[in-house]
Amino acid sequence: MFRIEADRERFREIVRGRIRSDLRRYLSTPELLAKHAGKTVSVPLPQIELPHFEFANEDDDGVGQGQGARGDALSEGGEGEPGEGAAGNANAEHAVEVEVELEELAEMLGRELGLPHVEPRGRREIESDAGRYNGVRSSGPDSLRHFRRTFRSALRRTIASGQWDPEHPRVVPQREDFRFKSRRPAPVPDSSAVVFHMMDVSGSMGREQKEIVRIEAFWIDTWLRSQYRNLEVVYLVHDATAKQVDHDTFFHLRESGGTRISSAYELCLDLIRSRYPADEWNIYPFHYSDGDNWSARDTERCVSLLRDELLPRVNQFCYGQVRSAYGSGQFKKDLDHAFLGDDRVVTTNVAERDEIADTLRAFLGAGR
Amino acid sequence: MDGARRSQSSLPPNLRRWAAEIERDARSRGLDFFALDFRWLDAADVNGLAAYGGFPVRAPSWRFGMEYERLSKTHAWGLSRIYELVINTDPVVAYLVRSNSESEQKLVMAHVCGHADFFRHNAWFASTDRGMLDTLAQHAVRVRREIERHGIERVERFLDLCLSLDTLVDPYDELRRSLRKSAAGGAITAPTYDVLGFLAENAPLEDWERELIAQVRAEARYFLPQRLTRIMNEGWASFWHSRILTGGVLDSSEIVDFADCHSGATQQAPGRLNPYKLGIELWRHAEARGEDLFKLRRAHNDASFVDLLLDDEFVAHHALFVHQKNARTGKQEIADRSAAKVRERLLTQLAWGGLPRIELSGVGDGRALELVHRHDGRDLDLQKASDTLQRVATLWKRPVRLATRLEGVAKRLVWSEGTFESVDVTESAPDPA
Repeated sequence: MFRIEADRERFREIVRGRIRSDLRRYLSTPELLAKHAGKTVSVPLPQIELPHFEFANEDDDGVGQGQGARGDALSEGGEGEPGEGAAGNANAEHAVEVEVELEELAEMLGRELGLPHVEPRGRREIESDAGRYNGVRSSGPDSLRHFRRTFRSALRRTIASGQWDPEHPRVVPQREDFRFKSRRPAPVPDSSAVVFHMMDVSGSMGREQKEIVRIEAFWIDTWLRSQYRNLEVVYLVHDATAKQVDHDTFFHLRESGGTRISSAYELCLDLIRSRYPADEWNIYPFHYSDGDNWSARDTERCVSLLRDELLPRVNQFCYGQVRSAYGSGQFKKDLDHAFLGDDRVVTTNVAERDEIADTLRAFLGAGR
Repeated sequence: MDGARRSQSSLPPNLRRWAAEIERDARSRGLDFFALDFRWLDAADVNGLAAYGGFPVRAPSWRFGMEYERLSKTHAWGLSRIYELVINTDPVVAYLVRSNSESEQKLVMAHVCGHADFFRHNAWFASTDRGMLDTLAQHAVRVRREIERHGIERVERFLDLCLSLDTLVDPYDELRRSLRKSAAGGAITAPTYDVLGFLAENAPLEDWERELIAQVRAEARYFLPQRLTRIMNEGWASFWHSRILTGGVLDSSEIVDFADCHSGATQQAPGRLNPYKLGIELWRHAEARGEDLFKLRRAHNDASFVDLLLDDEFVAHHALFVHQKNARTGKQEIADRSAAKVRERLLTQLAWGGLPRIELSGVGDGRALELVHRHDGRDLDLQKASDTLQRVATLWKRPVRLATRLEGVAKRLVWSEGTFESVDVTESAPDPA
C-alpha cells in the first residue's frame, strides 16, 4: 500500500549498489562477521544519510531530569540523547544498518570475484524436485492455464487468419490456443556439503593472523552456502594435537606450543570416515597456518595423508598460509612441491587483509 | 465536512459514536479545530504511512524506503508503537490503527483534538498549507514526470542535493513578512536565511530543477513549524487528552488501561527528558500560575514558551539539571541545577528549531556564494558541513564559502572547483561570525 514498497525497493537497490561497489572493503574487514544471524547479515552503511549542517557533539551536553548531586555521573540510559530539540532529528546520527540476505551477499561476491558456480564432484547430482512453474506448454489442467499466453496466441491466430477487426476487437480463444504453465525440473547440485576449517593455533599465530582466517572463513562459508542447500561447517584447531571445537572457540582460542599439522589432517580424515562419507558429501577441507610445522617428518606424513586418504575423498583441498612474524612459510613450499600440477590442491599466501579477496578467488575460482 | 463523514463511516459504529462524543467534549472545553477525519488503518500499513509522515502520497524517494525499513524493524522488535498519526490539514486527517484497543482509540481521538486545535490556532502554523494532501500528491506527480523524462538517477541525484539543504529555510519568514508588510512572493534577496529559496531563484538551473527545489522548499516550510513547537504541541495534546478522558469519556475499568497507555507515551528513561512529559508539565504549570492557556498556545513557540514558564519552582519540582561531559572521565555528569542554567541550555537547544543558523549574506567576487554561520557557542560538525557545502556548490555551480568558528578560531570553509579547503581568517579581518 501507499507505494512504499516501491520506495523500499529503490532503497534496497541503492544499498545493494553501495555494498557491491564497496565489496572489496567489506572483504577485508571483520565488520560483517559479528553481525550475521541466520540467513541475513546487517551491513553498516556509512554515509547513506544525506548530510546537513549540524552541530558537532550534539549529544554531549544537555538537560536531564532526576535525582542526584552535582558531579554525579549519568546512568547509561541518560546519555546519548539527553536534550530537547536536538532529539528531533537524532536518528540521523546513527550509522544505517541494512539487512542483506547471505544469499545476496554471496551473489555479489561471486560477481565481484568472477566465481563460477560449483560443479559437484562426480555424477552424484540429484535431480531434486526443485522444479518451478516457469515453462509453458499446450496441454495441461485448467487450473494451470496461463491466461496471458493463451490470449496472446489466440490474438496471434486471429490476426494471422484475417479475422481481426480493429473496430470490433474480439478475440475468442480456442482449444489450440490454450497454454498451460508447466513445471521445469531444475537439476540442483547435490545438496549437502561439509566445510572443514582447520586452524593452527600454536603460539606463533597472533591476533591479526586469526582475524584474517576468520574473515576468509566467513566468506568461504557464505559462498558455499549459496551453492549447496545444506552446508555443515566443522571447526578444528591444532597445535601438537588436534580437536574439534565450536564456532566461538575456533575464533578466540589461543594455544601455545608446537605444531603438528598431521594431527589435524588425521582428525579431519576420521570425521570424514565416520560422519561425512565421501559418496554422500561434497567435502571442502581448508587449512590455515603460518607455515611452520614441527618437523620435516611430520610434513611428509601430511603429504601422504593428503595424497592417499584425503584427496580421493574431497572436492578440493585448500591451504591458506597467513604470514606471521615467526612463521617460516615452509609448509606451503612443501605442499606446492609435492602437489605440483595437481589442481585438487590450492595453496595461497596472505600477508595482509587486502589480499583476502585474491585468496578467495584462488580457493573458490575453480568451481570444484 | 461531507468528505470527513464519508471517511468516518468506515469506522466501526462504536468508535464513530466515541469520535462524535469526544469531539463534542473537546469543543465544550474551548478547543476549536477544523473538521476531524478519522481513518481506519490496518496495522500492516502503519509503518508505510508513518514513513510518509502520515501522507498517503509522497514523491518517490529512497529515503522513505529507508525510514520504512527502520520503522518495520523497531516495530517488529516491539520497541515502539505508533499510537497517533495526525496531519495538519483541513479537514484534519488522523489515523486509528485497527489493532488498538478501544480505550487506546479513545486516547488517540482525544489527543488528536488537542493537536488539531494547536494546528489551527498556533501562530507558527498560520500560513501552513492546509491543502497539503493535494499539494504533496501534485509534487509526486511532478517528480514522477521528471523521472520519466530525465531518468531516475538524474532526478534522484538532484533531489538528494536539495534535500541536504532542506534545513536552510527561514523559520521566521512569515513573521518577518508580516512585520514588513511586504507582499508575499517578492524576490528573495540577500541577506536571507532562505537559502533554498535564493537558490531556486538565482542558481543557474534548468526549469524542472528550479521547480523541484521549490517543491522541496515548500515541503520544508510546511514541516518547519512542527519542529519549532514540538514540546508545546505534544504537551498541549497530552494535557487535553488527559482532561477529556478522565472527565467522563472513560469508564472506571478503562482508567487503569489509560493510565498505562498514557504513562507509556509520557514516560522517560531515567535522567532523560521526554518532550511529551516536559510539555504536559509545562502546561500544568502554566495553569497553576493562572496563565491564559489558550492565549499561550496561540502566540508561543517552544523557545519562548520555555523562556516564559521554566521558573525556579518548576526546575526544582521536576528535578531538572544541566549535564556536561567531564573532560577527565569522559562521562556525562550533573553540572548544575540552577533554573537560570537549565533554562539557558534548553533555550540554546530550542532556538532556531535546534539547527545551526546559516545565513546567505550575498554573492561575492567571482559570483561566489557567501554563507555565514551565526555561531552561538556550538561548532558545526566539520565533515557534515563540508559535505553539505559541496552540495550547495554543486547547485550554485560556482565557489561557495561559509564563514564559521571552529574551536574558537574564525574559519572560512570553501568549496571551489571541486576541492575543499578550510582557511583561518586572520584576526585583523573583521570576524565574520
